[in-house]
Amino acid sequence: MSVNNSEAVAASKPVLNDAVEARKPGVDYDAIDPVKTHKVAELKHTVPLTSCRVDPTGRFIVAGAEDLDIHVWDYESKTKRTLKGHTSWVRSFDFSADGNTLYSACWGGDIKAWNLLDTEPKSKLTIQAHQGSARWVRLSPDQTKLATCGNDLLVKLWDLENGKLLQSFAGHERHVYAVEFHPDGKHLVSQDLMGVIHVWDLHSGKKSRSIDASVMTGYDKKFAADMGGARDLQFSPDGSELATAGITNVVNSFAGVQDPIIMLFDWKTGQEKAKLKPDKTFQGIAWGVRYHPDGFLIGAGADRSGKGELWFRKPDESEFYHTMKLPAAARGLDLLNDARHLIVAHSHGAVHIYRMTEEEKQKQV
Amino acid sequence: MQGKGVTMRCNYACGSHESLTRRSFMGGTAAGALSMLGFGGMTQVQAAKKLAAQQKQVVVFWLSGGVSQLETWDPKPGTETGGPFQAISTSAPGVQISELLPYTAQQMHHLALVRGINTRENNHGKGAYIMQTGRKEQPGFAYPYLGSSFSSHLSPPDSPLPGYISVGAGGSSKEATFLGPRHAPLVLSGGKAPANLEMHASMTTERDKLRRSLRSKVSQRFEQKRKTAHTEVYNESFDQAAALMSRRDIFDFSHFSDKDVERYGKHDFGQHCLMARQLIEKGVTFVKVGHTNYDTHSENFNFHIEQLGEFDRPFAMFISDLYDRGLLEHTLIICMCEFGRTPKINSRVGRDHWGTAWSIAVGGAGIKGGAVSGKTNETGTQVIDREVNGGHLFHTYYQAVGLDSTEEFYPNGQPIAKADPKTEAIKEILA
Repeated sequence: MSVNNSEAVAASKPVLNDAVEARKPGVDYDAIDPVKTHKVAELKHTVPLTSCRVDPTGRFIVAGAEDLDIHVWDYESKTKRTLKGHTSWVRSFDFSADGNTLYSACWGGDIKAWNLLDTEPKSKLTIQAHQGSARWVRLSPDQTKLATCGNDLLVKLWDLENGKLLQSFAGHERHVYAVEFHPDGKHLVSQDLMGVIHVWDLHSGKKSRSIDASVMTGYDKKFAADMGGARDLQFSPDGSELATAGITNVVNSFAGVQDPIIMLFDWKTGQEKAKLKPDKTFQGIAWGVRYHPDGFLIGAGADRSGKGELWFRKPDESEFYHTMKLPAAARGLDLLNDARHLIVAHSHGAVHIYRMTEEEKQKQV
Repeated sequence: MQGKGVTMRCNYACGSHESLTRRSFMGGTAAGALSMLGFGGMTQVQAAKKLAAQQKQVVVFWLSGGVSQLETWDPKPGTETGGPFQAISTSAPGVQISELLPYTAQQMHHLALVRGINTRENNHGKGAYIMQTGRKEQPGFAYPYLGSSFSSHLSPPDSPLPGYISVGAGGSSKEATFLGPRHAPLVLSGGKAPANLEMHASMTTERDKLRRSLRSKVSQRFEQKRKTAHTEVYNESFDQAAALMSRRDIFDFSHFSDKDVERYGKHDFGQHCLMARQLIEKGVTFVKVGHTNYDTHSENFNFHIEQLGEFDRPFAMFISDLYDRGLLEHTLIICMCEFGRTPKINSRVGRDHWGTAWSIAVGGAGIKGGAVSGKTNETGTQVIDREVNGGHLFHTYYQAVGLDSTEEFYPNGQPIAKADPKTEAIKEILA
């Protein structure tokens, strides 16, 4: 794949600094090619991870886990810090544009802010945002507001200066799984358990329209339960398209027998543009979706067997063109600012860093 | 309608007191009746005491699939197995349960917890059998289920009411085993009243009476030479059906107030709890209410939010209402399932089957509210204090309603201990 937007981005430094590269002549080791994606580093924790994020400047990798802490790795040095203060699992993160401030949302309903420039960061802001879980947190494009959603069926907008509630959006009838600002800064979208996507007008404070993603939920008659919800939600950089990751075709929800799906919607019309599913032998959940600056789409998911996969889709194609097997279930996905590296939070307790270029064979010194 | 036209084979001919028919009881003398009930040799005072025990009622809440003990009665917040939920304080001093049960937490002074269960069984069917019979399955012999046993022990012999009604929890005539079809569950499928309780429009009361009389005469003539267990059961089924029709008022579930519907919820489980409340108020001995499903091998936490969010409030309302109406002191409440769920969280964010260290809640009649028996280790993987199994629980249930759990059944003249004699009651939770 040719490098377009990402050509301007400097190639990353080698991940293993104490190695000598063995470069083949004539090979461009910075050329982005998803087919050549390979693992370059592993950041270990002791319990399964639940989510991950990398800051916009590429310095900090953060992960939530099946514990009460936030785990922060320095990308260059791979040193790890642990942020304590949440009372439950951390499900969602966002960063300030300068990468210095981390925002986190936990199952306990709290939102916290952390200054990662501190040696031992303490929470500098806590908002008791939702009754029940706070499932998602996002920072507005103008860096002044936080959007959150949760199990109280509400979407909320908070003033970053003082942590005060600015707006509360009611309309969802089931748990709200994810929320995202449109790049225009004037709209929010939120998706609930039943695949209802509401679009909120931040000027009027009202719902302006809804988008139907109801294929992303299923009622299991035997178990008398609904399963669904957005497990990741992201706009394309130009704001023309919305991607949402989750499940479809629920057969036996309690055994995890359902298909992962990534749906794409046209922002202007709200019409479905694509339903992307991996090979039918892969049953589980799509936990992550990202737009690459070059235009292709990346997805990540977990199979019921405990394995994971990365999926790649070229613009306007109806299927993934490349799948990469992963050693453990993928529960979170993010893209580094160099456009060449992905991070994946795995169920076996590690963040893996993957590079989407020709692999550099390395010799140990 | 189950119970109508039942023809399953039973051990009627064994001659034990369990084979009593209602008619033979009513036709006998008081002494004869006492003898037939197994009260032989007792004084009137002793018999009266035992009869008093028979006024007790029992409600089982069956959380099918196996609810997670870590998300209910034995939370381990902040540990690697604890999941995302916190523990909350309850109305019982020093007792904490999961934050997913905030309404139930306010009723904990009426409930006791058994946190040291180890049934060593991770199979749904086998686990359900242990929890409902108090024994492991054995080839060639079937123990009666809890509902059938308590129907047998606690239902007044002349009661027109079914002794065991299952609401949204399924059930099989096989549950009664040697106790006979009278004690099999009457299953309200889909939580609906039995069909055909009203007399057919073309039938008058007088014609019905004549019809019954004719059938009875024909039956009696038939039985003079060919009386068997089958014919007796067949005849009894007609009596049961007639009795049920005479008390069809217990199945009129159309008069719940808007306030009650609001309090319990409009969903099936809320309605089933209201139905159970009415059945207990009307005098039904044993009611089983089901809530499905908790077999959360995947997405354990999201599903427990959903399922317990539905369960918590009506369950708590039920306890509160029974207390307010003076019914709780003679109604034993058991909230159980076939097993718990693994402390280890799997790659699907689920929990699997776990009979090794788990919990149930009991309350009401004979139970010391707020008591806790048993303890698991920090991560909930092992019982470290007061390990119990299905046998202990059965002794406890029996004794909570004033019955002697060391007595025996006599199917085919052979003594069968009502509860596992190798175990004993959990005394610390008995009032």
